[in-house]
Amino acid sequence: MPAIESAAAERGKRRTAISMAMLVVGMVCLGYAAVPLYDMFCRVTGFGGTTMRADAAPGAVAGKTMSVRFDANRDPGLPWEFKPERHTETVTLGAQDMAFYVAKNLSDKPIKGIASYNVSPMQAGKYFSKIECFCFTEQTLEPGQEVRMPVIFFVDPKILDDPDANDIREITLSYTFHPVKPDKG
Amino acid sequence: MSGHFQEGEIETLMNMFKTAFLALSLVAAPAAALAQETAPAAPAEAAAAPAVLEAATNAAEAAPAFPAAKPVPGIGQPVDGALGIQPQVTKIGEEALWMHDWLLMPIMVAMSVLVLFLLFWVAARYRAKANPVASKTSHHTLIEVIWTLVPVLILVGIAIPSISLLAKQFKPAPEGAITLKAIGNQWNWSYEYPDHGIEFTANMLTDEQAKAAGEPRLLGVDNRIVLPVGVPVKLLTTASDVIHSWAVPAFWIKLDAVPGRTNETSFTIEKPGVYYGQCSELCGDRHAFMPIAVEAVSPEQFQAWVKSKGGKMPAEKAAEEAAAKAAADAANAANAAAAANAANAAAPANATEAAPAAANATNAAAAATGN
Amino acid sequence: MTDIAATPSEFQAAHAHDHHDADHKPAFFARWFMSTNHKDIGTLYLIFAILAGIIGGAISGLMRLELAEPGIQYLEHWAAMQGGDGLHLWNALITAHGLIMVFFLVMPAMIGGFGNWFVPIMIGAPDMAFPRMNNISFWLLIPAFTLLLGSAFVSGGTGPGSGTGWTVYAPLSTSGSPGAATDMAILALHLAGASSILGAINFITTIFNMRAPGMTLHKMPLFAWSVLITAFLLLLALPVLAAAITMLLTDRNFGTAFFDAAGGGDPILYQHLFWFFGHPEVYIMILPGFGIVSHIISTFSKKPIFGYLGMAYAMVAIGVVGFVVWAHHMFTIGMDVNTKMYFTAATMVIAVPTGIKIFSWIATMWGGSLSFKTPMMWALGFIFMFTVGGVTGVLLANGGIDNYMHDTYYVVAHFHYVLSLGAVFALFAGFYYWFAKMWGKNYNEFLGQVHFWVFFIGVNVLFFPMHFLGLQGMPRRYPDYPDGFAYWNEVASIGYAIMAGSMVIFFVNVIWSLIAGSKAQDNPWGEGATTLEWTLSSPPPYHQFETLPRVD
Repeated sequence: MPAIESAAAERGKRRTAISMAMLVVGMVCLGYAAVPLYDMFCRVTGFGGTTMRADAAPGAVAGKTMSVRFDANRDPGLPWEFKPERHTETVTLGAQDMAFYVAKNLSDKPIKGIASYNVSPMQAGKYFSKIECFCFTEQTLEPGQEVRMPVIFFVDPKILDDPDANDIREITLSYTFHPVKPDKG
Repeated sequence: MSGHFQEGEIETLMNMFKTAFLALSLVAAPAAALAQETAPAAPAEAAAAPAVLEAATNAAEAAPAFPAAKPVPGIGQPVDGALGIQPQVTKIGEEALWMHDWLLMPIMVAMSVLVLFLLFWVAARYRAKANPVASKTSHHTLIEVIWTLVPVLILVGIAIPSISLLAKQFKPAPEGAITLKAIGNQWNWSYEYPDHGIEFTANMLTDEQAKAAGEPRLLGVDNRIVLPVGVPVKLLTTASDVIHSWAVPAFWIKLDAVPGRTNETSFTIEKPGVYYGQCSELCGDRHAFMPIAVEAVSPEQFQAWVKSKGGKMPAEKAAEEAAAKAAADAANAANAAAAANAANAAAPANATEAAPAAANATNAAAAATGN
Repeated sequence: MTDIAATPSEFQAAHAHDHHDADHKPAFFARWFMSTNHKDIGTLYLIFAILAGIIGGAISGLMRLELAEPGIQYLEHWAAMQGGDGLHLWNALITAHGLIMVFFLVMPAMIGGFGNWFVPIMIGAPDMAFPRMNNISFWLLIPAFTLLLGSAFVSGGTGPGSGTGWTVYAPLSTSGSPGAATDMAILALHLAGASSILGAINFITTIFNMRAPGMTLHKMPLFAWSVLITAFLLLLALPVLAAAITMLLTDRNFGTAFFDAAGGGDPILYQHLFWFFGHPEVYIMILPGFGIVSHIISTFSKKPIFGYLGMAYAMVAIGVVGFVVWAHHMFTIGMDVNTKMYFTAATMVIAVPTGIKIFSWIATMWGGSLSFKTPMMWALGFIFMFTVGGVTGVLLANGGIDNYMHDTYYVVAHFHYVLSLGAVFALFAGFYYWFAKMWGKNYNEFLGQVHFWVFFIGVNVLFFPMHFLGLQGMPRRYPDYPDGFAYWNEVASIGYAIMAGSMVIFFVNVIWSLIAGSKAQDNPWGEGATTLEWTLSSPPPYHQFETLPRVD
């Protein structure tokens, strides 16, 4: 066979191999891109009970209420006491509401903590908006210090129009406080 | 341990392994298996069970402390040698069990038998002796369309009840549900009844303790969850270290407990009894040793249990909280003023909340005791 | 793209001028350690896979021994020997068994072994597109496997070995597993993944560029099709695994928090990434088996495969749909109702192309002239066992039903029916089918038949009772269980003994046949065997197709 055709075949192989290698690189990038994309996806759709953020409440819808349960957890590695002031509260849909959690540093050192959070049932995430929350930032507690921490939120009245969510009678807002790793603080 | 094999036979079995599976053992093993056909656990025991349960129930009313009911063999725990699914004691479980037994199993068996039958038939009919000259057919559009479309129809037939089952499983807990929070730890479960002010941790009983307490080995715990029958239960799960999974087969419930977030599901137990489950997500060394034990009792007994645990029914608790709130609200207002966005929040929240909260709590109490 | 008559230049230069050179082999070291010959590399892969399979199979023997009775009988003794905790040893065993069987038995044997041996021959190519890269692919497996085995000797928590399960879920694999063992296991996966990716690029390039004149994609044998689809699945899935486990490594060692809720990460994201790889991975393990079984059914029916195009595109469909069903492995993680409904429905769709394949195999036999040689028995066993594993898969696809079965022995039974009785049956089928072609000696038919029947009985006694255990609620990955699970565990352990006994027969057959087997003809199977490998001598010449075959 003529050498020219063989060289063309070699080029063909190289082209295939390079495009496949690029596919691999692309998939690795996609694997990493999944981290911010997943985060964004959750924030937009409320996937996994991710709560929304808003600047203001849309205004109360008279007569429509929802029970909200406040749940508190703490990483065993964080020597704090952390609990909601009240376990449940009934809120009017669309109305801005405020609840308090109490945290106390039981150790003799100042400790920085941060809270992760979600709501359940999962499909309520899209309709649970926070205006202000202690969980948006790290919290530092001095030894023995006790603080009341507010969360300002509302439940979006649009929940009534969602066939998957309009039978929800109680939304649980759950926080878990974790210690902030020293090398990251 | 199991009683199915005599001592000597167990040794024989172990030797089979130890001698690197000599060909000799091949003859012995199936023979041993055949020789040891045993009936599953005797149903007679199950018949005696309600009486035992009743006795326990009566005792519970008399004594101030809350004595644990005895587990019933065959209910809420595995039965040795059994073939099917554990008896279900929730509506969802019964429906899912029905779907498994009467929709999925027949289809699965029919498909497997069809394929097996076709294989045997083809093997017999077209063996080289019976059919020395092979045909050259390699296409038949109609039959290809049929074996594409028929499975599609069967799958649609499965998908419709399956989706409706899912929709029911995801139906959120109604008002008046009892909230139970399960926290997975390495390696035990801690539980909270936030509306009753009860918290405790459940550790597995050792083999000796379980034997003494009449509990099944590896399933009994020192602190059972007690729940009323007929009242919806809202289950919240989370974990303090790694992922665990809270599961009770008799309820058709399995929900992962993930650190840093809370999951939710709900169920209503229909029959009193003791039901066991086991951690169902690999969580480290003692994964197999953090069982779940639920005792379902009448709502009255549940109230008694709450008292014995030093807790309060939600109505009483809510009344106290409402009183405390009046005081707290003053503080709230001060705090709210301090918070940048909060100033306008305080007024509407204060005015409307106290009354509905109290009403809600009363409803919940009624639901809890009324059944 | 499709009709390039490729002729690698080195092949031209080295051999085209001298036909007597076709069987000239390099000396031992150069031949086996610096091998660039696809058949030699295929042989290396097969030997490697058999050795890894012996280790992985022995580990499952330890597990079945411990599980034969309730209570912990042996773990503490074994752990004392290696200076660790018995319960940790259990987790190390299940992890090693899973990883070895997936990454070091099934994948190297299917793709590396049979793929390397027969894809170039079947498409009429003289060798793989990149012979030296092929060599690297194989030799990357050696350090990978060494790392994994080595991890059994360094601390992974309360004892040596990594105890995370083959899924390596965070946070058990991050904050829950101190010690270097898990890092070593992760690096082993990296290397095995790199090896597979290089292999996949090689296969795709070979199949796209080196088919013989006239060998269009739509004339290509189904095994080559299956390897082509598998290679694409590897390219799309493995990089995502690589990214996910790299994030695990940095979470473990460098303070990142991709999967740590304390740092704003999410452990559930790991599961999404893992199963985006993990679900296609199960098709990676089974698709080449589909290809092998198709050839065997056609050969022993003396008929062309029924519905060839349907068969090829059913595999494409399985590969494509396989990428959009991953979260059915995570049904209990706490997902919302719509997500669960979607993954339920999408998963069921896979049953349709799978059904097409099952029925097409039966239709291939229909009207044929069937002989039941050992490879055919394995292929028939494959079809039935894969059907059983398939229907339980349809059951598990129902999210509402899966709440009960999830993480129980029902799932273990299901995936062993499609893998241990599916993929492994296909491997044995292929091994007997091509035994004469690869080694030039005939295997012993009687021992082959005995091996099949004993293995068939053994694995069914081993795995069928696991359905019952799962239905009674026995969770996976338990070294000890309540007494209510005793009976079927005992039976399963007996099944293991039977299966292990059949493996003795297998090795006796292999060794005896290699030494004293009769000399094989070029085509021992007769008119039904139509693919190009049967036109060559047995074993094929060291360099085949000096003159490219022309396919009409």
